[in-house]
Amino acid sequence: MRSYLIIGASAAGLSAAQELRAADPQGKITVLTAEEYLPYSRPSISYYLKSKVSEEDIYLRPAEFYSEKKIDVFTGARVTGLDPAAKTVTTADGRQFSYDKLCLATGSHPFVPPTEGVEGKENVVTFLDFASAKRLKEMASPEKHAVVIGAGLIGMKAAEGLVKLCKSVTVVELAESVLPSILDANSAVMVKEHLEENGISILLGNTVTRADSQGDTITSVELKNGEKLPCDLLVMAVGVRPETALAEKAGLRVERGITVDPETMQTSDPDIYAAGDCVTSVDMLDGSKKIIALWPNAVQQGKIAARQMAGKADRLTENFSVNAIDFFGLRICTCGLIHAAGDPYRELVRREGSVYKRLIVKENKLVGFVLINCIENAGIYTALIRSGTDLSTLQGDLMDMPTMLLYSEAERTSLLLGGEPA
Amino acid sequence: MKKVIAKENLCLNCRLCEVYCKTAHSKSKDPLRAYLNEPELQSRITVCGDNQKSVAVQCRHCDNPKCVEACITGAMQKDPVTGVVTCDAEKCIGCMTCLAVCPFGCIKIGETAVKCDLCQGEEEPACVKNCPNRALVYLEMGGKADA
Repeated sequence: MRSYLIIGASAAGLSAAQELRAADPQGKITVLTAEEYLPYSRPSISYYLKSKVSEEDIYLRPAEFYSEKKIDVFTGARVTGLDPAAKTVTTADGRQFSYDKLCLATGSHPFVPPTEGVEGKENVVTFLDFASAKRLKEMASPEKHAVVIGAGLIGMKAAEGLVKLCKSVTVVELAESVLPSILDANSAVMVKEHLEENGISILLGNTVTRADSQGDTITSVELKNGEKLPCDLLVMAVGVRPETALAEKAGLRVERGITVDPETMQTSDPDIYAAGDCVTSVDMLDGSKKIIALWPNAVQQGKIAARQMAGKADRLTENFSVNAIDFFGLRICTCGLIHAAGDPYRELVRREGSVYKRLIVKENKLVGFVLINCIENAGIYTALIRSGTDLSTLQGDLMDMPTMLLYSEAERTSLLLGGEPA
Repeated sequence: MKKVIAKENLCLNCRLCEVYCKTAHSKSKDPLRAYLNEPELQSRITVCGDNQKSVAVQCRHCDNPKCVEACITGAMQKDPVTGVVTCDAEKCIGCMTCLAVCPFGCIKIGETAVKCDLCQGEEEPACVKNCPNRALVYLEMGGKADA
């Protein structure tokens, strides 16, 4: 009987555990998580903050799921040692676990740049896990001024969640646009205006240089341009870094993220696999190496790692970014190479009021899109990107809302009957 | 598992499937009352096209559903026994990541994701039962239920 060990219990870790059970009904499956909770929806923490998701509903699976599937989940198990020669891991509290096949699904950790007067203060939080969301929710109150450093997905979702809970919310971002990982320059301007209309102040090209405190409590922050903001709550959301410390210590190859074979998720140690935000991925659309810190990718990678660990031949055949998110009712869906510009890329753009659509095409294939308030059927575009469909084989205007009528009748019938796209 | 198959050459573009889909998922179960009192109802089947060419499209209940893989809350699940893919409205936060990956355009936008559930519990889905031209049929299509 094979013994499988998974470190990390979010998207990649849970997906790996579930797939391992499907692939190997007999194997021993153990999941270790440093957190105190069973697998929960990390992206939902901002919905928890604004009370749209309750504590009961944040969990990805009912507790019985793990006993039914014979998956042993150890919470509060922070892994501090990995010995690839002995094939064991040890936890901070001295427990040891052995494995035949190991999957690292350690995710990422917040990057907190050193800022004068911030370290060790009691009203500073990051916003990446359930514990931090709970802390932030407890600390927020109607008389408080909140400052969020960073206008990425994490920072903006924290700001959205805080806007109804605090007196003011100001986001300070060093770059010149909001949400650079999912928006192009045009849409970033539109989204910024929408966020401001909904009560968030956004200061671009600026950052917090120092904080003033009374005792252990920050009371104000000073910005790069000299301006001072009252601050009763400071959210550090500058960015995240892949959690690779364990892999590095164990001598695995790491280049920003853990280095894996992009098709099998195997690390430089043949018995260790890695999946999710902690690995360096290869974007299938341009071959570039990057961290693709997105849920669907983590799930797919966890699945493939599991199949491989169980001795199956499945390989990862697709890897590119796709993201859907909303802010105060504004719906955003983006995919692929949203920043690609100039030869060999060409773009199709339509903008009417608060609706924006930009498609990015390379050699007559769709390689990216940015959709604001026109996300209907976006997955059809995603499928065209995934399959590398030659756009000249399609019918109708690609800029209209995509439907199955884009395909020829024969292709459409085959897709709809087969139930799975090529 | 049984799936709904659309026969494109028989589709009239009458869109009665959409009306009966809404009715089946309404509180009143009556087409007029549903139309008048539940404006938020969405059809989970969509007739694409016009009077020249049209086809009804709804969830394919894929063997390896992209929507389930992409769901960030665990709301979207494929039933291991029946194979039906459903969205648990209690758990769904309406982020629409499922919509962003559905290759067929079968997820509708609402407070939560809205999609075909094959009228669970009914012998035949309402769209099939009420298609005047028998352009929708309910057939055993094979495929595994447990994805």
